[in-house]
Amino acid sequence: MTPRTLHTLAVAVLALAASAACRTGPASQPGDPMLDAIRAKERGGDLTYRESQGQHLFLRYCATCHGDEGRGDGQNASNLEPPPPDLTGPKSPQDVTYLTSVITQGSAAVGRSPLSPPWGRSLTHQQIEYLVVYCQSLGRKKPA
Amino acid sequence: MEVKNVAPPRLHVVFACLGVAFLLIFSWVLLHEGTTEWRSTQARFGRLQASVKNPHQLAQAASVGGLRQIWLPDLGRIDRCGTCHLGIDDPAFAAVPAPFATHPGTWLSTHPADRFGCTPCHDGQGGATDYTNAAHQPQPFVSRPMRPLETIEANCGACHRALDPPDAPRLAQGRRLIVEFGCFSCHEIPGFEGLTFRGPSLASIGYKVRSGWLAVWLHDPKAYLPQSKMGNFRLSTQEITSLQAFLLSQRAQPPLDSTGIDWKRADAANGRALFGELRCVSCHAVNGRGGTMGPELTKIGDKVQRDWLFSYLKDPHRVQPDTPMLQYRLTDEQLRDLTSFLFDEYGSAAAATEPPPVTYQDARLVAEGRAVFERRGCTSCHRLPGFKDTGRIGPSLAGIADRDPDELPYGSNIVRHTTDNYIFLKVLLPDTLGQPSSMPTFGFSPADAAQIALALASIRKADLPASYVVRRPAPAPYRPGGAFGELVDRYRCLSCHSVNGYGGDLSTVPFDRIGSQLRRDYVAKYLLNPGAVRVSVEARMPVFHMVPDEAKTIAEYFADVFVDDSLERYDARFTAVEVRRGQELYRRLGCQACHQLGTKGGYVGPELSTTGARLKPGWIAAWLSKPQTYRPDTLQPDYGLSPADARALTAYLSGSGADRTRGGNTP
Repeated sequence: MTPRTLHTLAVAVLALAASAACRTGPASQPGDPMLDAIRAKERGGDLTYRESQGQHLFLRYCATCHGDEGRGDGQNASNLEPPPPDLTGPKSPQDVTYLTSVITQGSAAVGRSPLSPPWGRSLTHQQIEYLVVYCQSLGRKKPA
Repeated sequence: MEVKNVAPPRLHVVFACLGVAFLLIFSWVLLHEGTTEWRSTQARFGRLQASVKNPHQLAQAASVGGLRQIWLPDLGRIDRCGTCHLGIDDPAFAAVPAPFATHPGTWLSTHPADRFGCTPCHDGQGGATDYTNAAHQPQPFVSRPMRPLETIEANCGACHRALDPPDAPRLAQGRRLIVEFGCFSCHEIPGFEGLTFRGPSLASIGYKVRSGWLAVWLHDPKAYLPQSKMGNFRLSTQEITSLQAFLLSQRAQPPLDSTGIDWKRADAANGRALFGELRCVSCHAVNGRGGTMGPELTKIGDKVQRDWLFSYLKDPHRVQPDTPMLQYRLTDEQLRDLTSFLFDEYGSAAAATEPPPVTYQDARLVAEGRAVFERRGCTSCHRLPGFKDTGRIGPSLAGIADRDPDELPYGSNIVRHTTDNYIFLKVLLPDTLGQPSSMPTFGFSPADAAQIALALASIRKADLPASYVVRRPAPAPYRPGGAFGELVDRYRCLSCHSVNGYGGDLSTVPFDRIGSQLRRDYVAKYLLNPGAVRVSVEARMPVFHMVPDEAKTIAEYFADVFVDDSLERYDARFTAVEVRRGQELYRRLGCQACHQLGTKGGYVGPELSTTGARLKPGWIAAWLSKPQTYRPDTLQPDYGLSPADARALTAYLSGSGADRTRGGNTP
């Protein structure tokens, strides 16, 4: 076997090895199934952590009138005159100050009907902040 | 002795080289310290501060420079996170990007950084001063990198033990599931001490269930009942056969005699009416709807034997002494109709055929089944006479969150090695971790398993100083004696109502001050025929078929014992002006959004037309003034009413009872 043949052989082996390495690609990253399970449940609606905190509160305190998805179709909505507004879609209120005062002081405080009560003394500032970011996120949804 | 002290010339060269090397290293250290990541970060912050603040604020701002650390000797932590997170407690930086942004929310005011630091909540390497080593992202050899927000509630639970903090819904739900599935029956779990989970007593199960059902159930409880709280023990066919024989041989107490019952005369329509009237669905689900306190009834006819069901409905406490189920006062005819209805409505035709021949007379098989029963720790959840309490079969979970993640098994699951992932996989798929496991598979959804794992991940090894721990004292058991005690026991009031935190929470009305809340006459009348105070609530008080004397005994006991003096001393002589003002307030505050009065209004809260006949005025005023004092989780908002306004509303609502009650019983 001439040195030339040896050389060619070595190059071929190296090339094969290199292509094999390329084919494997980067090793698959080990996952975090617990985190994924929580995210799959809560971020199904594409929510951030703070928004999903707000969603928990919304479902407890607000959804009975405003509806589980904020479309103004909660089970108590038909008893209300005027009916609760649809909070989804581009027309939904986005202003932090406005949302904070509606939730804290009730709808009467912003010149609307008194049917939405003030939550400022029942919920903490933190909870109201979460609700505000959740209401803002409702604006990303298409209206009913 | 002469010492020859002649250094070879080569040594001078070595010394010279060493000197130069030391000088180089020293300069490198100086240079390195001068250009660390945190210094450049602090320099960036200085420029940012100049743009965010006006010159006046800037002059007042504390100068930043050098390492900043919080030392928490009680917790054994040193957190240097503040070296880079310089705007963390300054609201002026609310809108700037990380790392200078203000901490969101009000967390730092409820958990001041100088007392709580950063890593007790966030995890990560508090002592590091650069992004990578602080373990903002998972790092090799770092067992607790920073937690993503989705799982941060596990750390809330480290201090907030057995008392759920606000704004930690995942932790709260995980703990609820632990209680519901009774994980603490097999495992010691700190924070869940004193709780008992009891599966049904098996003392007379041979009379209770059909043998065919038992085999199906033991093979996979979820196949019969998707909501089953019993997991799948992955038993072999032989184990199932022997266990079935052993269980069928348990016949401590035959059912009450039902030989005189003429089943052919059963009136299914009456049974159906009773099923509704007794409010069985408050505790039992049928076809996926209803309560969860008792077992599902959708396929009850396939599960139990008719004579046993009749006997159980007649006196549930005879065979299950600590069941939450109450004992109704029904006649044999009513019991017959109800049993018959349950069998026809909630059983399949196939089950009506006689069960296959019993195998429980085979002593060898029974002994084998007994061995399986002991080995799989069935007594952790089920009582059986003749078995002494052998304690919990599973390992203690104390300190589970501090197990070394690299020493835990993960089987063939390709996951990052963290205690979180280990606990999650163990809860979800206990038999896939490459080790023999006798833990049953509960069939949790991944989301439920994650929440249970999150709650367990808060159970740390190192004990915190007492000043950091928020606990709920275990409620003292309440067991009244006398005639009232017998009624409380018979009708199992404490399955739904509580006294001083002891009892159930299905009802929104604890007994603590019920004598000052409800009028005596109303209680006596209500107990005989409980209606719905809230229109939209599914779990309602059952119609007990109580006799009037019993109702009177309870009403009198309430009025004499469960009294809050501060509510009793209320001057209920209202003026017409107050009533008018209350009416105006009722409209102006929007009470009608949630409450019905007359025929108008919402049905979130209780109907108010009969308020005056139901409630005492002192209670109405107290409730309206500070509802959260009495029920922290109530939906009734605190309107911040002045005493005069609360009084006016009380006047209006008290009066409304007298005006609108049909057959008014206002004293």
